[in-house]
Amino acid sequence: MTIETIIWLLPLPPLLAFFLIVLFTNRSKKLSHIIAVGAALLSWAGSMVVFFRALQVGGHHLGEHPFTAAINWLPLGSGWLRIGVLVDPLSATTLFFVAWTVLTIFLYSVGYHNYGQPKGDADRMGLPPGGATVTDEHGHKHTVPSVEPMYSRFFAFIGLFAFGMYLLVVSDNLFTSFVGWEIMGLCSYLLIGFWYGKASARAAMIKAFITTRIGDVFMLLGIAYLYAQTGTLTFRQIFTPQILHELVSTPAPVLGLSAAGLIGILLFIGTVGKSAQWPLHVWLPDAMEGPTPVSAMIHAATMVSAGVYMVIRMFPLLSAGAEHAHLTTPMMAMAFIGAFTALFSATIAVAQNDIKRVLAYSTISQLGYMVAALGIGAYVAAAFHLVTHAFFKALLFLGSGSVIHGVEHGALYTSMHLDANDMFNMGGLKKKMPITFWTFLIGGFALSGFPVLTAGFWSKDEILSDAFGHGHHIVFWTLAAAALLTAFYTMRQISLTFLGKPRTEATRHAHETPWTMTTPLVILAMFAVTFGWLGVPEHFPVLGGLLPNWFHDFVGSTLTEHPETVPFNFVPLVVSLVVALGGLSLGWLVYRNVPAGAQDPLKKPLGKLYTILQHKYYFDEMYDFLFVRPATWISEVFAYQWIDRGVIDGLLHAIAALSLKIGSFLRNYIDIPIVNGSGDLAGNTIKRMGVTFRVLQTGRVQQYMVIAILTTVTFGAVFYYLLGWH
Amino acid sequence: MDFVAKHLLTLTLFIPTLSGLILLFFPSEKKNVIRWAAFVLSLIPLALSLMLWFNYEASIPGFQFQEQYHWYSAIQASFHLGVDGISLTMVLLTTLLTPLSILASFNIEERVKAYMILFLLLETGMLGVFMALDLLIFFVFWEIGLVPMYFLINQWGSEKGERTIWGGKQISARTYASIKFMIYTMAGSLGLLLAVQMLGVVSGTFDIPLLIEKWNAIQGSLFGLSIGTVKALAFWAFALAFAIKVPVWPFHTWLPDAHTEAPTAGSMILAGVLLKLGAYGFLRLVLPLYPAEARTFAVALAFLATMAIIFGALDSYGQDDFKRLVAYSSVNHMGFVVLGIAAAAFKAGSENATIAINGAVLQMFNHGLSAAGMFFLVGVIYERTHTRSLKEYGGLFPLVPVFGGVLIFVSMSSLGLPGLNGFISEFLVVRGAWPIFTFYTALSMVGLLFTGAYILKGLKEVLHGPLNEKWVGHIKEMNSRELVVVTPLMALMLLIGVWPAWILDVINRTVEMLF
Amino acid sequence: MVPLPWYLIFAAALFCIGLYGVLARKNAIAILMGVELMLNAVNINLIAFWRYQAVEQVAGPAFAVIVFAVAAAEVAVGLALFISIYRRRDSIIADDIDLLKW
Repeated sequence: MTIETIIWLLPLPPLLAFFLIVLFTNRSKKLSHIIAVGAALLSWAGSMVVFFRALQVGGHHLGEHPFTAAINWLPLGSGWLRIGVLVDPLSATTLFFVAWTVLTIFLYSVGYHNYGQPKGDADRMGLPPGGATVTDEHGHKHTVPSVEPMYSRFFAFIGLFAFGMYLLVVSDNLFTSFVGWEIMGLCSYLLIGFWYGKASARAAMIKAFITTRIGDVFMLLGIAYLYAQTGTLTFRQIFTPQILHELVSTPAPVLGLSAAGLIGILLFIGTVGKSAQWPLHVWLPDAMEGPTPVSAMIHAATMVSAGVYMVIRMFPLLSAGAEHAHLTTPMMAMAFIGAFTALFSATIAVAQNDIKRVLAYSTISQLGYMVAALGIGAYVAAAFHLVTHAFFKALLFLGSGSVIHGVEHGALYTSMHLDANDMFNMGGLKKKMPITFWTFLIGGFALSGFPVLTAGFWSKDEILSDAFGHGHHIVFWTLAAAALLTAFYTMRQISLTFLGKPRTEATRHAHETPWTMTTPLVILAMFAVTFGWLGVPEHFPVLGGLLPNWFHDFVGSTLTEHPETVPFNFVPLVVSLVVALGGLSLGWLVYRNVPAGAQDPLKKPLGKLYTILQHKYYFDEMYDFLFVRPATWISEVFAYQWIDRGVIDGLLHAIAALSLKIGSFLRNYIDIPIVNGSGDLAGNTIKRMGVTFRVLQTGRVQQYMVIAILTTVTFGAVFYYLLGWH
Repeated sequence: MDFVAKHLLTLTLFIPTLSGLILLFFPSEKKNVIRWAAFVLSLIPLALSLMLWFNYEASIPGFQFQEQYHWYSAIQASFHLGVDGISLTMVLLTTLLTPLSILASFNIEERVKAYMILFLLLETGMLGVFMALDLLIFFVFWEIGLVPMYFLINQWGSEKGERTIWGGKQISARTYASIKFMIYTMAGSLGLLLAVQMLGVVSGTFDIPLLIEKWNAIQGSLFGLSIGTVKALAFWAFALAFAIKVPVWPFHTWLPDAHTEAPTAGSMILAGVLLKLGAYGFLRLVLPLYPAEARTFAVALAFLATMAIIFGALDSYGQDDFKRLVAYSSVNHMGFVVLGIAAAAFKAGSENATIAINGAVLQMFNHGLSAAGMFFLVGVIYERTHTRSLKEYGGLFPLVPVFGGVLIFVSMSSLGLPGLNGFISEFLVVRGAWPIFTFYTALSMVGLLFTGAYILKGLKEVLHGPLNEKWVGHIKEMNSRELVVVTPLMALMLLIGVWPAWILDVINRTVEMLF
Repeated sequence: MVPLPWYLIFAAALFCIGLYGVLARKNAIAILMGVELMLNAVNINLIAFWRYQAVEQVAGPAFAVIVFAVAAAEVAVGLALFISIYRRRDSIIADDIDLLKW
């Protein structure tokens, strides 16, 4: 099998799994998860083959001659739209982390959905499992977690999702990328609303779909525009100097942009939606309604990263026409939105109590990091952070799922009803769930950028030093502030969850989750540490040069112009050390020992600001007021009642009424009096004559005879004498 | 076999009528026999049109399988049939949807015989429009299609509901809808008839290919008016008739009423095929007969199409009636067809125009699949709950998981999810129209956004959310007959989404040669 | 030869007697008889005119013969009707038979 064939086949096993489960095996939980995990394993194996082949070939060679193959797909006019696959250093790297996260999360889902547990007492499709009562050998009754009633369906959905993600990664063109992109959107929708019986999940699923769709329609326009301008959607054909030059020199119809600028902005809006950047960030926190593996896979590691992956992929176009230190319009937009989002959502994360929501805002913030990095041209740094973030954020989400699972177990055991996501209900889980704790700690430290050891440090440091090195000081300081907050809320989360004493009875009875859930944690924790070492800058003090900066060489060679590394500078290093360590210690100091029933220690000092943060700057309320309600009003009242029923139907009814009026006029004033009138007149006259003359009709023959004779004689006389008829 | 091969079109066209006649001899009280007979008989045209499809040579320009017979020689009209890539696609759609609709109507209990006969007659009417190569024949079939539809809505339509008309008078909704449908379409046909007569008299022939040559060659003045004025008038007469049928905003209000009140299968055919007659008229007649006028008025058409896209979506989103929601989605989707046509009219012959028309024709086919599917599913849930109000459903997914899955699938096709059919055609239209009508294309994205909103609204109210306990134990899962109806549609949706070349190649070649 | 006017006067007198019978008699049979008289008066006229004016033509006697035949048929039909009426109404008085009265 050639490497291209393997690439073609990569996305297919999960898709096949989807169809198999939906059509045939949906009644068997065991078969379903075997098929799904098996499919993920197949794709994983294929990805590893591809990845290691890519390593073998080497970055430079692969950058110039990537694995690629294409077929004619859509006949259009005289040409064809070609679709195909492409693996260059960037997609090889992406493939690597996607394959790992997808595989681990598939495995994790088996445990998360309580495989092997009894059926629930009152479980119903569409609601989370509510626990089952079992009687042990002593006759004691216990409540234990029950198996998810829609177990097979879950694996079908994530199978379809994995297909979308693989498709996006291996696509050599925007068209199939977009297909994968939207399929993921659908799966995201379906999985956020996995427990559709909950009203909140139902609202969240729609919010997610619609918000991302706003981005998607712009992106669709961008794709159409690009296609119309260049006649191709294949990346490598677009990224040729002459086409890029042509795009830059063609003016776009609006805002005085060049075609490249407008296409870039349109495509970037797609990313804003998908990667939940401000102002379209609102859907991601609500998306936490979905099961945790979904949050980990879709809303942290893969789908939201796909947004960033797309802009990284389109970077040559976005940066086309950029001189040194002069950014193109799309890049400026990205730098601004990315940096703003990074800081903005980090502040919100500080005041959230839901363990998953904190991570959601953190994801938004980190994605903002990547977008900002790309905006200032730090191509490799953005890609690097994309990979490391995928690992440690998936780890954190899975860890939080494990925590929630543990607490829920305790809640069932103690028959308590509590919000298992609320960190203020936790505390002291370090001893109960050691594997979860240690892996979560690694993930948290990676997220905070704990120096040297963790991957997050290296990738974040690279972004910061790029920003500083290229003189984008505003971006640099914004990101640094965001990093400080990140470290702070991460430590807040760790402290509240694992440190101190258990704050509720349920937490006291929590215990470690099964191996299917902890194994993925361990694997991901490994990557969250080691992956950073692949990208140690050459000139880093002491450590620099010990390991080659493999990541930069490899991914950097995706671009035709190999990006330069920035010269080493102590300012960003010191800043990133200070913010990481400072934030972590601050978080530990404030939250290390929060007693049961206590308020958030920050609530008092922050005052009103805390409330605002807790309400996410009231963005949901604002959008509801500004967009949702007007849209509903416009649809229901303006468009339907007023325009359609009122104006158009009114006009039609008026025409009908007018016709009726004209008709009745014709009837009442023409037909009845004139036409009918004259007809009736003739009839009536004759009738009246009949009445008058009927007395002649006596019925007596002889009288008739007399009349006949008289008439004959009279007429004869008249004709003969008076008229002279001889 | 030779006979069949030589008269494929005539046979396909008249076998439904013949089947109707055969049904006439069945005893009315044997309902099941009639149903099955109608279904089996309606499979014959499908088989024949598959023969057409596989024997069609996409690379040969012009019409194929032509047949011409004397018909009305005194006024130079002949019975001339033929198909090219565009009409062949539509013929296939019609012959596919008719058996499915008949299968979907097995739950009709009243006057089954009359119902089935009307349905078969309707098929002849629709096929005739797509096959006709003579303007007079075209018009005849155009009108024939109306009559069965009128009776289907009027007699078998939904029994509930009333509509208040001018002056506070109440009439039953199905009467209102059927009369509105009939009169509206007839009103459009009036101008069409006049224009058709005029063209025929002036050009001395009704044969469409000949007519196109002769009509376009006419110079000077006609009836004391300049030829430009006459052509503009005739253009609007044609365009109005077709615009009403499509329907283009603001001539669309008959559609939600007719669709909502029609029986399930009636809505399937109405949305699936009848609306395409209008768009087909634009493609077959308006663009070739009036290239200059079409170009002049393309902007207006594009504006109306954009309004249809936006307002169709908004209206749809504003509904509480599930069937009406789906009905309005047709306005939204057909808007893309018209946008594609308008773009092509504006820049006829360019690569962009070709792509736009490709998109428009494919969108016609795709909408036929998805709208028919959606209406069928609405019918399925209506049959179980006897309500169409979205507010009365709620969380039905656990009760009907298979139905739910099918509904999501078909909804996604309607929404234009990449990977399914709708996306391909919408993408092509947007791609083709963008360089030509940049502003309108951008504006139509509002509609595309709301497409998502109303589809999700439908799904949300029907399937998701807390379970409405009222329905527990009262709702049965889809039965196998219903699955048989919807499966071919779903298979085609997926097939076109994944591998559109098989159908688009046929369309594309014709479009390239024609425009 | 007797001059023509004599025949004509005779025929006229006969006609008037017949007419009187038709108009004045109550009995339907008498009325029928009156009719016969009138027909015969006509016949006399026909023959007289033929004999004096156009003896070479055959039309006159032929007409007379047709009148006889018609009169005979008329009487046959008329009497049949009277019998039928008499059976139903027990009367053949013309004034009683006023079914056609308005």
